[in-house]
Amino acid sequence: MTYRTASIVAYVVFFAVVLALPLVLNSFWTNRVAIYLVYSICAIGISMSWGYAGILSLGQGLFFGMGSYMLAMSLTLAVPENNPVPQLMLLNMEPDAVRDLCCVTTGSFLWIPFRSITVGMIAGIVVPCILAAAIGYVMFKRRTTGVYVSIITLAFALIGQLLIINNQPLTGGFNGLANLALLNIGGFEFDPYGPSAYYTVALTLLAVILLARYMLSGRIGQILKAIREDEARARYLGYDVENYKLFIFCVSAGVAGLAGMLFTLTSEFATPSLMATSLSISMVIWAATGGRASLLGACIGALIVNFVGSLASESATFQPVWPIILGLLFVFVVLFMPNGIAGIFKALVERSGKAERFAEAELSAREA
Amino acid sequence: METFVIGLSIASILFMVALGLAIIYGTMNVINLAHGEMVMIGAYTTVLATKHLGFNIYLCLPLAFLVTATFGLIIERTVVRRLYGRLLDTLLATWGIALILQQLIRIHFGLGLFGIEIDGLGSDLQNVPVPAELQQAIRVFGANIPVYRAFVFVAALALGAISWLLIFKTRFGSQLRAVSVARNTAAACGINDKRVNMLAFAYGSGLAGIAGVLVSGFKTVSPDMGTPYVVDAFLVVVAGGVGHLLGTMASAGILGEVQSFVATWANDVYGRTVLFTVVILILLFKPQGLFVTKSR
Repeated sequence: MTYRTASIVAYVVFFAVVLALPLVLNSFWTNRVAIYLVYSICAIGISMSWGYAGILSLGQGLFFGMGSYMLAMSLTLAVPENNPVPQLMLLNMEPDAVRDLCCVTTGSFLWIPFRSITVGMIAGIVVPCILAAAIGYVMFKRRTTGVYVSIITLAFALIGQLLIINNQPLTGGFNGLANLALLNIGGFEFDPYGPSAYYTVALTLLAVILLARYMLSGRIGQILKAIREDEARARYLGYDVENYKLFIFCVSAGVAGLAGMLFTLTSEFATPSLMATSLSISMVIWAATGGRASLLGACIGALIVNFVGSLASESATFQPVWPIILGLLFVFVVLFMPNGIAGIFKALVERSGKAERFAEAELSAREA
Repeated sequence: METFVIGLSIASILFMVALGLAIIYGTMNVINLAHGEMVMIGAYTTVLATKHLGFNIYLCLPLAFLVTATFGLIIERTVVRRLYGRLLDTLLATWGIALILQQLIRIHFGLGLFGIEIDGLGSDLQNVPVPAELQQAIRVFGANIPVYRAFVFVAALALGAISWLLIFKTRFGSQLRAVSVARNTAAACGINDKRVNMLAFAYGSGLAGIAGVLVSGFKTVSPDMGTPYVVDAFLVVVAGGVGHLLGTMASAGILGEVQSFVATWANDVYGRTVLFTVVILILLFKPQGLFVTKSR
C-alpha cells in the first residue's frame, strides 16, 4: 500500500467514524464530541498556517473568540427578554440613558447589525479575517518573521482579551455572554445536545478539511512550503512571499472564527477565556501532537488530546495528574515526535510498503 | 511621584525576570516559557521557608536562587539541551514544563495523591509575612515611598550590577559572550559550550527565583502567578534588544513606567493594553529592539 492510498483510507475511516459516532453516544457525549470537533477545526487552522507556511500564530484564540462572540451577540439578541436592549446593558447603563440599542451604553450601536442572525454568522468569519488581514498586513509588509510573529500575535490576543473584559457594559466583561437563544434557521432549531448541532459541526469539519486539502495540494500549497523552507529563496524565485503569507494567515483566522461560531453553537456561551494565551498555545499543541503538516493529523491530535483529557478529568485519581501528563505529552511530542501522529503513521506505512516491495521483488527473483 | 515609584517597582521586577530570560534567550536562543514558573517557585520557596524554617525574607533570597537554579539546571539537562537550534520548539516544550511545574505545586509534588498535604502548597493563595522595617514608608520630595518598593528597586539594581560584573568581568562571562556570538568558533577554541549553556540557564532561572521572593512580598502567591510575568518579561527582552543588558534595563524601565502611568490615568487594563501596543510597535518598526548591540 502506498502512502497515498493509506492516507485516503485514513480519511475515509475518519469520516465514517465521525459521522457514525452520534449513533452510539448519549446526548452528553454527543455534545462533548461536537466540541472536540470544533477544536479539531481550530487545529486545522493552525496546521494551515504553521504546518504549511511556517507562521506560528499564538493568537489564534483571538480569532476563535471573536467568531464565538459574533454569533453569541446575535443569539443574545434573539432571546425575547433581551429586546430591545440586552439585560447585560440594562444592568450597566447610566440611569437616564435611552433604552435603545443605539445609545444605551457607549458603543452599544455596534450591536445593531447583530439583530440579524445572518449578519452574526457572516461576521463570525469575516471580522476575524479582516482583523487578521490588518495584523498580517502590517507584520508581513514589515517582514516580521519567526518568533516575532508569534509574540506579536500573542500580544494582540492579550489586548483583545483585556478589552473584552474591561468593556463590561458592551461585552458582558469577565462573564462573557451566556443565556443565549438556540440557533434557529428557518424554523429549524439546533439542539446543542442533539444530532443537529453535532452534524452541523461534523459536516463543517469535513468540508473545511477537504477544501483545505484541495487548496493546499495545489500550487498554493507548494509555494507556501517553499516559503516555509526558505523565505529568501522563494522571494528570489519571484513569488510574492508577503501576499501568500497574508493569504494563509487570513484563511487560518477565518477557519478559527468559523470554529468559534460552532463553539457558541455547541457550548452556548462566549467568554474572554477563549482568547487566553493558554488556549491559543493548547491549539498549537493539538496540531503538533497530531502532526503539524498534516491536516487530518492535526484534527485527530485535537480529538485525542481533548478526549483523553476529559476522560481523565472524570476520574478522581487522574484528574489532578492530567495537567502533568499533558505537560509531559507536550515535551515528549516536541522532543521525539516532531511530525506527530501523522509522522508515525507515514513512517509505518512506508516501512510496510518497503517490506511489501521487498517481498514482491524476492518472489519475482525466485520465479525467474 | 507615587506613580513614578510604583512604575519603578514594576520595572524592577520586570527587569529581574527579563534579565534571566535575556541571558537564556541571548546566549542559547531558547525561549523559556517556564521562566514564569521560576518566579512562582521562588515565591513558594519563600512561603515554605518562612512557614517551616522560620526564615525571613532576606535569607530567602539566596535560598530561592539556589532552589530555582537547581530546577533550571534539571530542565536544561533533561529537555532544553536536546532542542538547541529549534527556537519555536523550545517555546512549546517549555510551555509543557510550565504546566507540569504548576500542577506539581497544586498537588503537593504528588504527595497530595496519598493524602499528605504540606502547609503552604496546593492551589490556595498564600501570603508571605514582610518584616516590619520593610512595611514603613519614607518621605522623599514630599511623596510617600513604601520602603518595600525601594527595597525591590535596590535589589534589582544590585542584581543588574552583579550580572554585569559576571558577564563582563569574569572568565565565565567572557566564555558566555563568546558562545552567544559564535557558538562553534567558541567551542573550537576550547570553551565547553554545553557547560556554559547549563550554567547560564541555571543562573537565569535563579534570577527569576529572586524576583519571585520579592514579588511574594506584595502579591498573593498562587500556582499560576508566573504566566503573566513570562509574557511581559519576554516583551521586555525583545523590545530592549536581545543580548543587551542596558537595553533590557531601559526597556523594563520604560514599559514599567508606561504601564504605571496609564494605569493611574485610566485603569490597569488600559495600562496593559498600552504596554502591549507599545511593544508591538517596537517589534514592527525596530525588530532588533530599541538598543542594538553593534557586532563587529
